[in-house]
Amino acid sequence: MRLSRHGWSLRQYMAGFMAVLLIVAAAAEIAVRGVAEQGARQAAESDASFAARAGAAEIANELALLRKTTDGLAANPQAAVVVTSASASCNLTFAGGMLFTAGHLDIVGSDGSVKCSSLTHPSGLVYGAAPWLSASLNTPVTAAPYLDPVTGRISAVVASPLRGIGTILGVVDLAAVGPNLASTLGGGRKLEFLVTTTDTHTVLISSLQPARWVGTKLADASIANPSAPTERHGIDGTSRLYARSAVASTTWMLSAGADKAAALAASDRFASLSLAIILGGVGLMLVVIFIVYRRIAEPVRRLSLVMRGTTPGSAADAVGGRGPTEVTGLALDYDNLMSSVKQELADRLTSQYQAMVSERNYRMLFESHPQPMWLYDVESHAILKVNDAAVEEYGYSRDEFLLMTIKDLSRPQDVPKFLELMATTPSFERSGPWPHILKDGSTIQVLVTSHAIRFGEHDARFVLAENLTESRRLELELSQAQARADSSAELGRAKDEMLSVVSHEMRTPLASIVGFTELLVTRDVAPAQRKQYLGVMLQEGLRLTALITDFLDLRLIDRGHKSMRFGPADMGALIKRAVGLAGEAGAAVELRLPEDLPLVSVDSDSILRVLTNLLSNARKYSPDGGNVVVGAGAADGMLEVYVQDHGLGIPSEALSQVFDKFYRVEAADRRSIKGTGLGLAISKNIVEVHGGKVGVRSEGIGKGSLFYFTVPLTQELALSGDVLVVEDDPGFAQLLEAELTGQGLSSIWAADAETAERLMANVRAVVLDLVLPGLSGEALLERLRAGLGSATPVVVVTSKDLDIAASLALQKAGVTAVLRKGSDTAATTASLLAATLHRELVAS
Amino acid sequence: MVIADDEPSMRLLVHATIESDDYTVVEAGDGTQAWAMIQQHKPSLVLLDVQMPGKSGLEVLQLVKADPALAATRVILLTAKAQESDIETGLIAGADFYLTKPFSPLDLLTRVEEALQLA
Repeated sequence: MRLSRHGWSLRQYMAGFMAVLLIVAAAAEIAVRGVAEQGARQAAESDASFAARAGAAEIANELALLRKTTDGLAANPQAAVVVTSASASCNLTFAGGMLFTAGHLDIVGSDGSVKCSSLTHPSGLVYGAAPWLSASLNTPVTAAPYLDPVTGRISAVVASPLRGIGTILGVVDLAAVGPNLASTLGGGRKLEFLVTTTDTHTVLISSLQPARWVGTKLADASIANPSAPTERHGIDGTSRLYARSAVASTTWMLSAGADKAAALAASDRFASLSLAIILGGVGLMLVVIFIVYRRIAEPVRRLSLVMRGTTPGSAADAVGGRGPTEVTGLALDYDNLMSSVKQELADRLTSQYQAMVSERNYRMLFESHPQPMWLYDVESHAILKVNDAAVEEYGYSRDEFLLMTIKDLSRPQDVPKFLELMATTPSFERSGPWPHILKDGSTIQVLVTSHAIRFGEHDARFVLAENLTESRRLELELSQAQARADSSAELGRAKDEMLSVVSHEMRTPLASIVGFTELLVTRDVAPAQRKQYLGVMLQEGLRLTALITDFLDLRLIDRGHKSMRFGPADMGALIKRAVGLAGEAGAAVELRLPEDLPLVSVDSDSILRVLTNLLSNARKYSPDGGNVVVGAGAADGMLEVYVQDHGLGIPSEALSQVFDKFYRVEAADRRSIKGTGLGLAISKNIVEVHGGKVGVRSEGIGKGSLFYFTVPLTQELALSGDVLVVEDDPGFAQLLEAELTGQGLSSIWAADAETAERLMANVRAVVLDLVLPGLSGEALLERLRAGLGSATPVVVVTSKDLDIAASLALQKAGVTAVLRKGSDTAATTASLLAATLHRELVAS
Repeated sequence: MVIADDEPSMRLLVHATIESDDYTVVEAGDGTQAWAMIQQHKPSLVLLDVQMPGKSGLEVLQLVKADPALAATRVILLTAKAQESDIETGLIAGADFYLTKPFSPLDLLTRVEEALQLA
């Protein structure tokens, strides 16, 4: 998998981390600040609430203490004495409390006059107008506010009845209570205390400016009676958090207010402290990040620069021992890896270079090797590459070679054997000799060396073909023959037998000739007898000649030495010619030839011989007449020809042997029929050289027989060219074709006029021999002019002596030139045609 | 005298060579025919080709030698075979003379006369 380079760098990660850190710190600060404020507010509220309850309890407590004091005085019998007796001495002391610091105790008569007081003065009807007086004579009374006439202060009055004759008063100065509350319970929290009557909203106690506020009425009920705890402005305008509490056994309500600003100032301090801590932490983190960056990221970055090739040198040097061991280890590993990769690369380049050099050497060796070499594909057998020697030796151009398969080089009958060798043995040394066919149709003997190789995509074989020179070939043949003879007694016996057969076959006619000659020489022989003897001698002499010819032919074909030149041929014409050669005598011949028989690729002379042989056999073995049928038909790229007779037939056990050398069916009915026993063997060899097959069918003795053979059809490609050479002499035809090729003209060859007639439409010019087997050159010329008009140039090449009339006739037929066969006729013909065709090309 | 050879030209040659008013000559084209003629004519001399269809010359020779009625019959073998082993085989089989093709007609005549003297 390929990693993208679009990710963040370590620096960016660091920056991002710091940004996140700052955001978290800010959020933490905001949260801390909120929590602190909330806490401060709750603390203030709880302070206020506590102070309210404590203050109310204290006030109630102080009032109860005062009541206890007045009740105690009222219970004292001396008090009544004081009221009733003006001279009675008394001594009262106002003890005061924590809150009620200022005040006085009075014993008052029913008229409001002060009988005894903790103060030195006053006396008289001080409380005569007091609204609570009459009630206080009989019941305990607590009243406030009351402007104390004695002190002139707004006070609270606690009165205990004195048996209807008077009352005992405790009077406390309310103005002093507020500050006392504040100093007792307010502490440093700047609490405000405010006591009001719930009904009148009159201020009874105030810790703030009591002189101003005590005794006043409040317009805003919410100030006096807020729902607790609540935040509002106090009477001094300061914002406070209030709580309230009712003072027991009174109708008083106490409100305690905590200063909000003071409370929040404390929380602010706390928040500021936490901010400082957070900032300190962040700072510490940044320091750590920087250190980590310096210790890890920087070495990694340097390492990365080296790895990317931006910085030269080794990774270990770039990192320089800084950074953690993992990074320095990585750098060392990287250096090791790189050095081994470099080594590997260098090795590979070296070996590639060496391979290239060696490939170039091999190529040179291949191209310039004096012996033919080629590469071919194992599957398709197509030739992939050839060297110059192969082009020179075989006559094909390089391009032609590359369109061929190796099968095109071998004689057709050798192909299966070679393919089998190739399939079973990928590499072999100097196998053969194999006959190879050159472009001109001639055969050479080669020793084939093969090796399996890879050639590009192909599973290929490399082949070296050594052309055996004649002496080398004979030497090889001898050694092979020796080897065969030495190694195989079976073969030796076969050779003996062969020799014996040949000697027998030859000695019999020879015995006749020699014997009769001797008789003629040593005796006087009557003329009639003499003629008879000479007739026998001639016959036997001919027989001997035929035998020797056949035998030598067979040997030549067997060993691939008979020169054959394959060319397109009209099988119908060959059959007709063979029938003509067989003569009129003997069984009648019936032809069954389709109109449109395709052309075959054969050596015409050889195939004519096969046909003649089969026809002659058919007639020979039909002693009682009976017609002979010759027919042909094409199938699967081959043309099959059959010769059927209705003669003696062949016993089934002999069918497999009739093509063997010297084999003749042993039966009384054919004893008188002469033959060398070689005809069929020769025919079989000829057909097999063409890549065809021979065979025979017979129902048995007396049922006649049918011989057939196949030969290949001509490839479409081989049926067109610039020039058609019509020449029955293969040697001269070959010379002509070579000269035409020299002039850059392609050619096709027809050995007779019948074949030529089939091909003449495919060419631009014709070289014509007048003396041809079958249809004559003159007749072909006539048909050519009738078929193609007079445009096609025709050069007549002949060994015939032409009289004036014949020459005129040719000129009339529009012949370009008439040349007599001679040493340089071929070259002249070729240059003449090249010039003519070139003119034509220019003219068109 | 019986001449046995599958080649008509050879029969003609032999016949022409030994032609005489002293004895009659019959011809056979194969071994079987030859044996029939020998039994029929009980000849003084038989000229046998070795390689013949039907019965080979050697087979006919053995039949002649095995037949007491033919004790006086002389046999000359004619053959195209010319190997030592063939000659031995022929002589062991009891042939009086052996000629290899191509042979001289005069030689043949000499042998015929010698054989007839043996008879």
